[in-house]
Amino acid sequence: MSAVVDERVSDEIEALEAILMDDVVIKRVGDVPDIIETVVHPSTGDDTDQQFVCVTLEVKLTPEYPDTSPDVVLRNPRGLDDALLATIHSQIRNKLNDCLGQPVVFELIELIRENLTERNLPSGQCVICLFGFTAGDVFIKTQCYHHFHSHCLATHLISGLRNYQEEYEILPNWQQMNVSPYQQSCPVCRTIVTCDVESLRKAPPPQESITAAPFCVTDELKVTIADLQHKMSALLAQQRAKGGVVSTGYTGPPPLTITTPADNQNNVVATNGPPAAKPEPAAPRQNGNASNSNSSPGSPNGKSGYRGPYRGFNRRGKPGRRGRGNAR
Amino acid sequence: MAALPRRIIKETQRLMQEPVPGISAVPSETNARYFHVIVTGPEDSPFEGGLFKLELFLPEDYPMSAPKVRFITKIYHPNIDRLGRICLDILKDKWSPALQIRTVLLSIQALLSAPNPDDPLANDVAELWKVNESEAIRNAKEWTRRYAMDN
Repeated sequence: MSAVVDERVSDEIEALEAILMDDVVIKRVGDVPDIIETVVHPSTGDDTDQQFVCVTLEVKLTPEYPDTSPDVVLRNPRGLDDALLATIHSQIRNKLNDCLGQPVVFELIELIRENLTERNLPSGQCVICLFGFTAGDVFIKTQCYHHFHSHCLATHLISGLRNYQEEYEILPNWQQMNVSPYQQSCPVCRTIVTCDVESLRKAPPPQESITAAPFCVTDELKVTIADLQHKMSALLAQQRAKGGVVSTGYTGPPPLTITTPADNQNNVVATNGPPAAKPEPAAPRQNGNASNSNSSPGSPNGKSGYRGPYRGFNRRGKPGRRGRGNAR
Repeated sequence: MAALPRRIIKETQRLMQEPVPGISAVPSETNARYFHVIVTGPEDSPFEGGLFKLELFLPEDYPMSAPKVRFITKIYHPNIDRLGRICLDILKDKWSPALQIRTVLLSIQALLSAPNPDDPLANDVAELWKVNESEAIRNAKEWTRRYAMDN
């Protein structure tokens, strides 16, 4: 390995740094440029608010570059679906072949930018409701370039704060002092975001959530479901016979608690049953309430140590929350 | 029961139509929020070859709070206690509505490949996993063979 850099490469790097300035990162091994990295946005003049998609282009130079093709990776695509990414990838492959022997990074940036400009609207789904973005939907782009229906993001942020406050309330005083304050985070990448929940929550729910055709179980699906259910209960019966089922003989509180009122009624009935002879989860027709049927609230086995890891689970079931102000 | 949110319907549909390899999940006959689950033990783990039954319940405000998941098949693992409860951050404070039933189950499967005895739920198991890993792995294999295998 010589440290002599091909002139074509050093010229290209110099040009990239001159034009893109802070927007390009050149990673070097010793003095030799190794990886060129830049985030590509659609052309929207300088109006970054109108940029709804982006992708990070990473070009790893080979020792023989540009006489051999560099390795090109697209990372952190935002607002781009798989189909578009596949299109860009195949265009990149063609471009690399066409440009063998000459510097190619500018060409790649240009190619990606054209694609992004053409498709500068978030594609794919809102990960919160799993519906797409359609005309008339009110959506928001976070600082990290993730898109959500404003309505959905508001719901997430409101429950995030509520969960935080509930967790905070049950901490002992001395621990409350060490808790870091609540921060809104992006559901996808957990980047800290700052959003105005009040204005988000005024947005209407996603169009498709209202207009989508109602779901009906096709016959085909019915068969699949029945098959699977059958397979599951057979497996369970078999494992129970071998003593391989966790809750056998356990009569403590339900490890999973179902909190709808209807379930609670069933629960009461179930607790009248024989205390130790439980294994309900097997009974195929009863499975919906299986985890409840072995519950005996207030049974001697309901030790307090048990509650620790599951504390978060029943947060919703609390009858009333004491209102508290800011969790500092 | 209130109408099932569309997100749950969409997830169920997709689980049925494009199942994840090594994972099956099906709603119960009586409660569309309660799923029967089978996770296969990952290759090259002490749980390889095992079929593990789990139950999964979607609480009222899902996906704003995490599904409740528990192993039903006995399993020897430092992050799973004797009641089948699972110590996994995404099921608690690291839950995000961007996660789904399928991603949760994949994470649980990954937990089988990568036990974390430093954050234990089953203390005795974790202790052995730390002081004598080979014996712990032997135990895990034995439990898998005894409780989670077909024959």
